[in-house]
Amino acid sequence: MALNRRSFLELAAATTALTAIGVQASHAQDADTLRIGIAANGPRHSDPNLTTQGSDNWATEQMYEQLVRPDDGRFALKPEEYLPTLATEWTQSGDAKSWTFKLREGVQFHRNYGEMTSEDVVFSFERAIKEGTNRTILSNIESVVATGPYEIAITLKQPDVNLLGTSIFNNNTSIVSKKAYEEIGGEAFATDAVGTGPYELVQFDPEFGTRLKRHEGYWGDKAKIANVECVYIADTTARTLALLSGNVDIIEAVRAPGWIDSILQRDPTLKIDMTTPGSFNTLHINLTRKPFDNLLVRQALMHAIDRPAVAAALAPMGGVMAGLQPDFFPAGFKTEDLPAELQYPYDPEKSKALLAEAGFPNGISFDSLCSQREDYSSTMLIVQELIRPAGFNMNLIIGDHTAYHADNRSDKNTLAMHSSSYPPIPTQIYFQQLASASEVKADGSGGGNYSHYGVAMPGIDDLLNQALTASDYETYLDLCKQIELQVLRDLPLIGLSTLGFTAVRSAKVDLGYEVESGYARWRFHRATKTV
Amino acid sequence: MARYLLLRLGDAIPTLFLVLTLVFIAMRILPGDPALAALGDAALPEQLAEFRERMGLNVPLWQQYFNFLGGVLTLDFGRSLLSNTPVLTLIAQNLPYTIELTLAAMAMGIVAGIPMGVLAATNRNKLPDTGVRLFSLIGYAIPDFFLGALLLITFALNLGWFPINGAGTDFASRMHHIFLPALTLAFVKAAFLGRLTRTSLLEVLGKDYVRTARAKGAREKRVIYNHGLRNAMLPITTGLGLSLLSTLSGSVAVELVFNRPGIGRLLIDAIAQRDYAVIQGGVLVFAVFVVLINLLMDLVYVVVDPRVRVS
Repeated sequence: MALNRRSFLELAAATTALTAIGVQASHAQDADTLRIGIAANGPRHSDPNLTTQGSDNWATEQMYEQLVRPDDGRFALKPEEYLPTLATEWTQSGDAKSWTFKLREGVQFHRNYGEMTSEDVVFSFERAIKEGTNRTILSNIESVVATGPYEIAITLKQPDVNLLGTSIFNNNTSIVSKKAYEEIGGEAFATDAVGTGPYELVQFDPEFGTRLKRHEGYWGDKAKIANVECVYIADTTARTLALLSGNVDIIEAVRAPGWIDSILQRDPTLKIDMTTPGSFNTLHINLTRKPFDNLLVRQALMHAIDRPAVAAALAPMGGVMAGLQPDFFPAGFKTEDLPAELQYPYDPEKSKALLAEAGFPNGISFDSLCSQREDYSSTMLIVQELIRPAGFNMNLIIGDHTAYHADNRSDKNTLAMHSSSYPPIPTQIYFQQLASASEVKADGSGGGNYSHYGVAMPGIDDLLNQALTASDYETYLDLCKQIELQVLRDLPLIGLSTLGFTAVRSAKVDLGYEVESGYARWRFHRATKTV
Repeated sequence: MARYLLLRLGDAIPTLFLVLTLVFIAMRILPGDPALAALGDAALPEQLAEFRERMGLNVPLWQQYFNFLGGVLTLDFGRSLLSNTPVLTLIAQNLPYTIELTLAAMAMGIVAGIPMGVLAATNRNKLPDTGVRLFSLIGYAIPDFFLGALLLITFALNLGWFPINGAGTDFASRMHHIFLPALTLAFVKAAFLGRLTRTSLLEVLGKDYVRTARAKGAREKRVIYNHGLRNAMLPITTGLGLSLLSTLSGSVAVELVFNRPGIGRLLIDAIAQRDYAVIQGGVLVFAVFVVLINLLMDLVYVVVDPRVRVS
């Protein structure tokens, strides 16, 4: 058939018209499906042992469980706050090196992969120790042995009074089915893992996201909403519009000043769920760069940063850090509980005086790198303005997020902001950001101690080693508090603020519990939805 | 003709080779560590080192380059550093969406743009002409991402006529999902083609053979479409080729705004995360398209204007 001008135009017009008369409603929603808009382009893994993209854990949180868990919506601040989950009881030896766990009987894996036994638990731990993304923390585990069909024993190389927090309630040690892994194969398991959680995987679509359905054989109270869809929408505007239009029920928020206010202006009925503390925003002071090797200059900087003002600017997500731990975390201090000389109240005049005493009466100028990501750039721009009146002229060089981290890891920064989430296990931040073993290296082979603390000057290594090998929790906490005070005296690292992880929820969805603290994901098995 | 095609395809090989080399070098020059991007900034040195070794990032650059070229020759583009999915699979999953969007936008742009150009040329300096020129000006001035957000807020959020994101599943749903993104891209196409058609047609309508046709009593419609528009098609065809290429590149922003899957969105994420293998595969796809579209345009010239012959 010859395609002449007229038929071509008719065909094109018909195509255009057809696209305009779509039949599917854009608000296709039902009470039995909960849709969450996730701030990333697409899922990478559904295997809890492999996830490196934090957003993927919204789905894994629904599908997998560990031997113990804290209550929904919060961290366990102390070991005794963990709740029996796939284990019903546990014991530890006096030296905190030998632990036994009695497993819950009758727990069924998704998709009829049978009952969970000690064989699956041992398999899951061994896989996490050998192949997981968090092998360093798990490297303290000497062995995991089945001592019965429903009992396992864990032996550690060194004592760990926080084992429940460091290694048991850990994404990597989520319990997966050994039989499923063997049948499905390691590679396919990365996007098709089988767990015991209240929801099971239906579809893993690298473009759309993940679809889950209720696990009908769940050992506990079954999920109230039948389906959960994790829809990946990286673009902030698109994600916000998706929530406002009713296309999704929950979205990950933008952690920038004013964002919460602006979305509530648009729809005041929306609900805000937020973890406290969320991320720990810290500022590394490079001790190898003059004049920051001078304690007086660091003290001047500390007095120049109005930390409550930084937290207030990030409200309602921001929180004040007196030291490196939030005050309600086990080793945290309230500002008023610190010795007066370690409280560092905002005082630009004192800051100027300290700078003058250090030999810089006219202030100092320096370059500092910063990521363009909104939480980094907004915080550092606030800091830049706060310290300027005291005589610190910081020239911020704002660039690509990935390049920023690579530059930090190559020791190219002077004041390096870092944002990471930590559980109430104080030694994690000390090890990652302050231990001499984690010192940054110019060739990029070092770690996250961008201050060179413990190398450029004596640090907290001895106290940290004692804490890491403590066999009772009180001694551990006491040593961590000593570290907090030591860091406040030496000032290699400043706790700028905390920044809560936030999600915005339609008023039609009730989570069934309050989100208080915890990682940047929460479970939906108690949620209900009205249409 | 077949020999001509083979020669033109042969010419494309050095171009593609050059593109691949430039992309390889550019990605390695860019600051940023794919291992850090994949594992997060809290990753420990030993985890990073192991990742680099596993992904072949610890070998010398020249070796990475030859590994990459060897892979391309055997159609093995490697695996995503982030998800470990074969790059070819990612491309196969995303490419249809980009092609679909490009074709829909082109169809809309042609349907709106060419008649507008004819209308303007046949009503020179009258109201329709002014209207078309004003539309062209606005079409050129509004960036894709802004227009996309505007359409999204108006027609998807406020009026609820269209889905807010995604790409749909069955045919009707896909057409429903594609309308606003395609319209966004078509807006500038229509502006461009309208302007181009107007200019080309005006030039042709001033030629002697058009005057002769009118003198012989040919009807005005016949004069415009058979004598005018047909002879104006050569520059319009060139414009269509350019427009098609710009639609492909414009799809990057539109896919992001409308949260549609596609090669553009895949590339943006890969660049942000320094996922070298995906970037290289994605850019190669774009380069192949550019070569093929240019070749297609050369062939269309022959069809549109019989005076043009393959030499």
